[in-house]
Amino acid sequence: MIKGVVAILWKDLRVEWRSRERLGPMVVFVFLIILVFNFSFELGGSALHEIGPGVLWSAFVFAGLFGLNHTFATELDNNCLDALMLAPVSHSSLYLAKMLGNLLFLLVVELLSLPFFCLFFNLSPGLYLVPLVAVLTLGASCLASVGTLFAAMSSNSRLREFLLPLLVLPMIYPALIWAVKATAIVFEHSRPSTTGAFWPGSLTEPVSFLLVYSIVFTTLALMLFDQVLED
Amino acid sequence: MSRLASTGLAFFVFSAMVAALYAVFLYAPTEGQMGLVQRIFYFHVSSAICSLVAFSLVFLASIQYLRRREERWDRLAVASAELGVIFALIVLITGPLWARPIWGVFWRWEPRLTFMLITFLMYVAYLMVRAYAAGSVEQTRRFAAVLGIVAFVNVPLVHFSVNLWSADQQLHPQKVELAPEMVVARYVSLVAVGSLFLFLLKRRMELELASQTLNRIRQELDGERGDDGP
Repeated sequence: MIKGVVAILWKDLRVEWRSRERLGPMVVFVFLIILVFNFSFELGGSALHEIGPGVLWSAFVFAGLFGLNHTFATELDNNCLDALMLAPVSHSSLYLAKMLGNLLFLLVVELLSLPFFCLFFNLSPGLYLVPLVAVLTLGASCLASVGTLFAAMSSNSRLREFLLPLLVLPMIYPALIWAVKATAIVFEHSRPSTTGAFWPGSLTEPVSFLLVYSIVFTTLALMLFDQVLED
Repeated sequence: MSRLASTGLAFFVFSAMVAALYAVFLYAPTEGQMGLVQRIFYFHVSSAICSLVAFSLVFLASIQYLRRREERWDRLAVASAELGVIFALIVLITGPLWARPIWGVFWRWEPRLTFMLITFLMYVAYLMVRAYAAGSVEQTRRFAAVLGIVAFVNVPLVHFSVNLWSADQQLHPQKVELAPEMVVARYVSLVAVGSLFLFLLKRRMELELASQTLNRIRQELDGERGDDGP
């Protein structure tokens, strides 16, 4: 099982390394969306703590959808998906590999776009940002767990790219609520007055919710993925 | 027999509706603070219950379809999903009509409104998957069943999230004290709306059966024509 997951994941990473079809456009996309919010809301400075986390997560979700669309769409050329299904790995390994791949791409995009988010919104970098890594990882894994399952379904639809957001967005709202909340808590700690604990106590609740969400949907997707691919 | 049952059920729905209209508009007293508009409550709450029952049916039917692969479970799933969406829409329309004079606004991002809206959107997506699938009929049913399960598992998470997200603005009452006549009107309208739901569910499943049969006959005819060809 683990060998199969690693093999498929490695293949996807190599494809990405050679084609650079996903990461580059995703990072630019996040950048552009942050600017869209900036110009539509006149952000910067004071409003940051109120809607900054929301802006950040909206950008991640939209860029994530862009990346998720690629998950199985790339496998449709030359019937690669059929070949993958013939390969001696279980469908759950295929799901897990694709899900981890999406998680990895999302994380890289998040980490690459965070510096210019901090730059534009005058968020001084500091150690208080470290818990944000946990929030970003869990938020991304929520999006990847649900998104990978639905990407497999929408790649076979007449609407293709359009169906995926219709499926993913309503499903991801609970995770989005908590990810934004957790990010807001982390950003609040950037203010000089609130020095002290490295891990703000109020962060535990949203983070554990994100953990529950991603575990529930990864398990569920592992159970149901056979049904999606069966043909 | 089925036809007789259908007609019988239709008559029951009709008389229950008349009884509900009487109970809601004439029998139940006008609420002291809210006035006439409160009477929308009887249909609002009954529809909300029906839509949640419908979504649970989608969940159960989806599990059964994946386990047994019998078309009847898929028929139940598609019929309840459509009805669930329609009844949720009724809730989402009657809600703001009631809210405007009482809360002063049509919409508030209050836990239950947000919950109902997100749940509604998840099942709209379910219907989209069914409508725009490109693969085989069997594949569409499998995809729909998977979504029917995933969406229902998400419902408690949505409920939990929106409850805590905007806990400071609970506008729906946690507990309602009703006058005895209002309780009667409430149950009569629940029976009326519930039986309407069952009636529509039955008819929708029959319609689905008819369209499945029609498709099968078409395919058989196409197959025969194919055999005769050169």
